[in-house]
Amino acid sequence: MSGARLWNLIAELTYRCPLRCPYCSNPKEWASIRDGLDADAWARVFREAAALGAVHVGLTGGEPSARRDLDAIVRSAAEAGLYTHLVTAGVPLTPDGLATLRDAGLRSVQLSIQDATAAASDRIAGTESFERKLSIARAARELGLALTLNVVLHRENLANVGALIEVARTLDADRLELANAQYDGWALANRDALLPSREQLEAASAVVAEERFRALRPELVWVLPDYFSGRPKPCMGGWGRRLVVVAPDGLVLPCHAARDLPGLAFWNARERSLAECWNDAPGMNAYRDEAWMREPCRSCVKRSEDFGGCRCQAFRLTGDATNTDPACALAPQRASLLDARARAAPTAWIARGVGAQEGN
Amino acid sequence: MTDAPLAPADFEARLRAIGTERYHDKHPFNLRMHAGTLSREEIQTWVRNRYYYQTRIPVKDSAILAKSGDAAFRREWVQRLHDHDGRAPGEGGLEMWLRLAETVGLERADVESLAGVLPGVRRACDAYVALVESSDLLGSVAASLTELFAGDIMTTRIAAFEKHYAWVDPEGLAYFRSRTKQAPRDASFGLAFVLEHARTRPDQDRCLAALERKCEILWSLLDAVEAAHRRPVLSPHVVLRDDAERPGQQIAVLPERGVRVNESGQEILALCDGGRSSEAIARVLHDRHPEVPHLLIDVHEFLEQMTRLGVLVLR
Ligand code: SF4
Ligand code: SF4
Repeated sequence: MSGARLWNLIAELTYRCPLRCPYCSNPKEWASIRDGLDADAWARVFREAAALGAVHVGLTGGEPSARRDLDAIVRSAAEAGLYTHLVTAGVPLTPDGLATLRDAGLRSVQLSIQDATAAASDRIAGTESFERKLSIARAARELGLALTLNVVLHRENLANVGALIEVARTLDADRLELANAQYDGWALANRDALLPSREQLEAASAVVAEERFRALRPELVWVLPDYFSGRPKPCMGGWGRRLVVVAPDGLVLPCHAARDLPGLAFWNARERSLAECWNDAPGMNAYRDEAWMREPCRSCVKRSEDFGGCRCQAFRLTGDATNTDPACALAPQRASLLDARARAAPTAWIARGVGAQEGN
Repeated sequence: MTDAPLAPADFEARLRAIGTERYHDKHPFNLRMHAGTLSREEIQTWVRNRYYYQTRIPVKDSAILAKSGDAAFRREWVQRLHDHDGRAPGEGGLEMWLRLAETVGLERADVESLAGVLPGVRRACDAYVALVESSDLLGSVAASLTELFAGDIMTTRIAAFEKHYAWVDPEGLAYFRSRTKQAPRDASFGLAFVLEHARTRPDQDRCLAALERKCEILWSLLDAVEAAHRRPVLSPHVVLRDDAERPGQQIAVLPERGVRVNESGQEILALCDGGRSSEAIARVLHDRHPEVPHLLIDVHEFLEQMTRLGVLVLR
């Protein structure tokens, strides 16, 4: 069943991060997952990914710039022939540090902001960081790097979509991802506080439509969240199909959230080649293609477009990863998702915990 | 529960306000045409593409005609078919447009073949016919009301051509001259019809929406013509590389996506040097491969798609 062509490597370099976003997609127990690959090991992973067909690497985390050897990592990714893309929260990165990364072969930056103003953004991030993020955005522009801004949207900041678009225009970003929170990891724990109302989403949708009409730049990416659209997201372009995640400890996964699905054995890039981990790990093959599907997915015409949705969401909300993703309007087990929608209300959230971990 | 209908004078004012805001006389391409700054090639592209619109007018007028059960309406409306198609070969608005095409240096047969019609122009014109076909009589007449604004644009256009494009033989402007008379006549009939028949607020709103949609369609036609003369070049953020898995194929890699480019695509991208317009690129390839059918359309579609995906940027 193996042999799918890999396109894209997601390299989670570390789970350490100075920010404390309440929707962080890292595992809840992130602090116990150590940085297991040194720069040489990452260089090997990059070469192996390129040999499997990959053309692109996203260097992410946690916060990749929390690694002191990031420039060596960027250089080896570029040398492996991968288009090298940095996903960063902007701290502890500095403009000079970004220049070094550009010289090492970095081509593009995706910078997260948490809201449209310093006060609001810093409050969600749990750290004073907004002004430093802006300085990274300006540096990216000056250095000729492609610049995407990313904002995770939820109840607290959805009303500011217009202001966020203005920030992106002022910074001359190429692209603005208005990414509705995915309710997994920390976001699932904070779902009552974060999940927006349909009215909020409709208002934001209208603002995006109007702004798209007003100007071509930046490209605005806006997708109605799966909790409300009735359509599941084609998670990761299909399990083990185009994209591979290598976690900080070296675990090779089909998706950043697949680590805690029960009963699945994934392999580690520290112990085996990436090709083995990608092609042959039992966990990687568990939901490849369609044989695992149940009804209604098994006979549904949409199955080659959305692959039955997100396995992790199916597991978290129904207890069985082979069920249809409850985000789908056709799913038999939608109750808990609909309940969550009804229950959402302004409440306090828990910030992503700050655990101690040694740097490398 | 619906709102009360607008008084006829207010309704008419609302219809006219749509023209003031959205009619294509305000489109940048049209402003440049009237300011005299279009190149000969741009004028030619406009004339060649606008011909497709001209061919759609009698088609949509026939559709409107077929919606009416009233002989008096049909007697009036059929006049438009005569205006465009003429009473005999060699007469009428379409013929006049072909003469204009010849005067601006195009081959008549080439224009008539519609081979060089841009995909965006085709979409816009087809959308107009579809709008008329799917509307009732009232809605389709309302969509025609852009004629209210057409008389003025023609007068300005004739003056602009005489002043700025002296290379165009004044004989060729006969179409514009004919429309300065026909458009106001047609419009006053259409307007009277709409004012009389749109009696409820929902009907009035429908008419306003149809007229807005028509303005958008005309606007997007000029968008497409204008874009054909922008000069595409590879985005600085793109890496174009060979695909090790598929010999001969390339991949354009961007921050957020990879795009497969086959050998034909590579030949097109190689011409995107930021100096040639899309139209010029399409012509070069057409001359290079005269045997390939629909090549002009395919090249424009490819360039549009690559621009949308961020592989190309327009200068
Ligand atoms: S979501 Fe926030 S806390 Fe989590 S890694 Fe990203 S910036 Fe850090
Ligand atoms: S039933 Fe399954 S395959 Fe069909 S739309 Fe829903 S999730 Fe997708």
